[in-house]
Amino acid sequence: MTVLSRKKMSRAVLMERLPGYVGQALLLAVVAWLAWRGASNFIANARSLGVSIGYGFLRSEAGFEIAQTLIPFGPTSSYRDAVLVAALNTLLVVALAGVFSTLIGLCAAFGRLARNPLLRGAASTYVEVFRNIPLLLQIFFWYFSAMTLLPDVADSLQFGGVLLNNRGLFLPRLLATAAGWTLDLPQAQGFNVSGGFALLPELMALTLGLSIYSGTFLAEIFRAGILSVPRGQAEAAATVGLSGARAAVLIVLPQALRVALPPAAGQYQTLAKASSLAAAIGYPDIMQIVGGTVLSQTSQALEAMALVVLLYAAINLAIAFAVNVANRRLLRRQGR
Amino acid sequence: MNHSQAEMPMTLTTYAFAASKTLLALATVAALAAPAHADVLDDVKAHGVLKCGVTLAAPGFSAEDNAGKRTGFDIDLCRAIAAATLGDASKIQLVPMDLKTAFAGLPTGAVDVLTHRFTWTQSRDVGGLKFPKVMFFDGQGFAVAKKTRANKVADLNNATICTAQGSTSELIVADYFRAHKMKYKIVTFASQEQAWDAFVAKRCDAAINDRSALAARLTKLPNKDDFKVLAETLSNEPIGPIVAQGQPRWEAVVRFTLNALVAAEELGVDQANVDAQRSSQSPDVQRLLGVTGEFGSKLGVANDYAYSAIKAVGNYADIWDRSVGPKTPLRLERGRNALVANGGLMMAIPVR
Repeated sequence: MTVLSRKKMSRAVLMERLPGYVGQALLLAVVAWLAWRGASNFIANARSLGVSIGYGFLRSEAGFEIAQTLIPFGPTSSYRDAVLVAALNTLLVVALAGVFSTLIGLCAAFGRLARNPLLRGAASTYVEVFRNIPLLLQIFFWYFSAMTLLPDVADSLQFGGVLLNNRGLFLPRLLATAAGWTLDLPQAQGFNVSGGFALLPELMALTLGLSIYSGTFLAEIFRAGILSVPRGQAEAAATVGLSGARAAVLIVLPQALRVALPPAAGQYQTLAKASSLAAAIGYPDIMQIVGGTVLSQTSQALEAMALVVLLYAAINLAIAFAVNVANRRLLRRQGR
Repeated sequence: MNHSQAEMPMTLTTYAFAASKTLLALATVAALAAPAHADVLDDVKAHGVLKCGVTLAAPGFSAEDNAGKRTGFDIDLCRAIAAATLGDASKIQLVPMDLKTAFAGLPTGAVDVLTHRFTWTQSRDVGGLKFPKVMFFDGQGFAVAKKTRANKVADLNNATICTAQGSTSELIVADYFRAHKMKYKIVTFASQEQAWDAFVAKRCDAAINDRSALAARLTKLPNKDDFKVLAETLSNEPIGPIVAQGQPRWEAVVRFTLNALVAAEELGVDQANVDAQRSSQSPDVQRLLGVTGEFGSKLGVANDYAYSAIKAVGNYADIWDRSVGPKTPLRLERGRNALVANGGLMMAIPVR
């Protein structure tokens, strides 16, 4: 079929398809015209209302603080920096949840296919329960149970240098000083913990909620992939003396990924979009900072929302691109 | 594409598909680019219903009572505007909104007016949100758990503070702590309701909000004695209904309806005596109630618009006492919101 379309088109075929082409060209023209009219109408309306439009505001001082910043940020930083901080925070939670949900998904997929009925039952129960509860509800559950169960700063739980309380999980961190490397231990001090590296409860609850929810869908996708590998492959692996686990990782999984990767990509994209539920529990992501604080403080609703759309679209396209590249390499290596 | 099916029927369905897609695109773009509002006043009259954006839940201001009916200070303002515009206070549609949906919904016409708890600021005003009249002078304060033993704002160094995204509180905290060289951590939520829930769940050491809102939320807590509001007021918060920019007729209707409620209190006209006051000999009262003059007609509404509004919800004092006053759970004193004659800031624009 593809060979046919690459050849020079015969006159008869062209005549047959011409109305279709003309129709599509007309439709495209109409849509383009409408879009152009809409845009010019919008600009004219905004101008007549005296509403300023454009992204000039990005350079002005933001004036607010953000709870979690991967790059230096303070009230004197610009709105552009705030957008950057928000985007990085979203990327962080998407990356964390992506890794954890993949691990959970793989375990659950192999669990559902295991011979041990206990393991199979546990994996099936996990998938059926967490797949069927709304994600927002799960995030609330983790967040508010964390709030209820974790102690105040004064009564922090301590494991070695690690502190856990209702302000977050505080890890020791290495600091480069003049004297060389020193260990910066978190310490409870008054209202808060000083020193160390802090993981906010919001980040933990969101990562947990997203990972557990996405893990159920990924488990089913991986299971389908594993089932698509002929039994003979595993049996052949067994005859050459590979153990069950090594056969799974070396023989079954690479072939299963061929089938599982495209639908898994869709699941990762869903995860990235679902991360916007962060706004509900106060994790400072794109939706919350750009679509919330920046929007209301500048009153540039359309610009801020367009920026949110753009950022999520960019993240999702990047995921699609990355998975496509991985998929192509996988196919090439396996000599399709 | 499956070429073997590219026969005549296929082309027909292609056309039908293309046509339906064109229609869909047309509808979408038209909705997007058409001027949202020709004239809000005409729209409201044509639809026969007033759409008000209100707070999700703020006891005393906008909250559902036991019968599931939304009542409160903000709701009364919405009812007053409906009575003035349509002659019937019940012709309202209340749309609970958080900040994001409210600020996006007003210019697009999702609501006609926000009778919400938003503060009038320069950037909001210049950004296209018009505040016809301040109906509540508030200031922001901190609520803390008594257990923290914080007695003044200076004690909150290093504290974690809960508030709503994009609220004026977020900036006030940043400014105050920067000016006083204090450190803090902020956790912001989509709405003040969620921020408050997180504060009560001990995620934060303090919550910042308008003092009236803190008082309102505290009344709802079973363990309200475990919390207190710090004495300092950090800011001035002039609060009032909001209309979209570029609607001078509608803005005037909203402004002078709200104004009439205050003017009525100044003149001693209330819900109980408004009928009798129509035969008052006072020229001020006669002008207010539309007995003389053409103040209503010139606004584009019924000449007795103020009478309808006062008849429906009473004057400013009636609304205050019913929703948030000393006899309600909120027990708010008039304070800054007393009439100028009584030492407050509330004043009517002269009706003349």
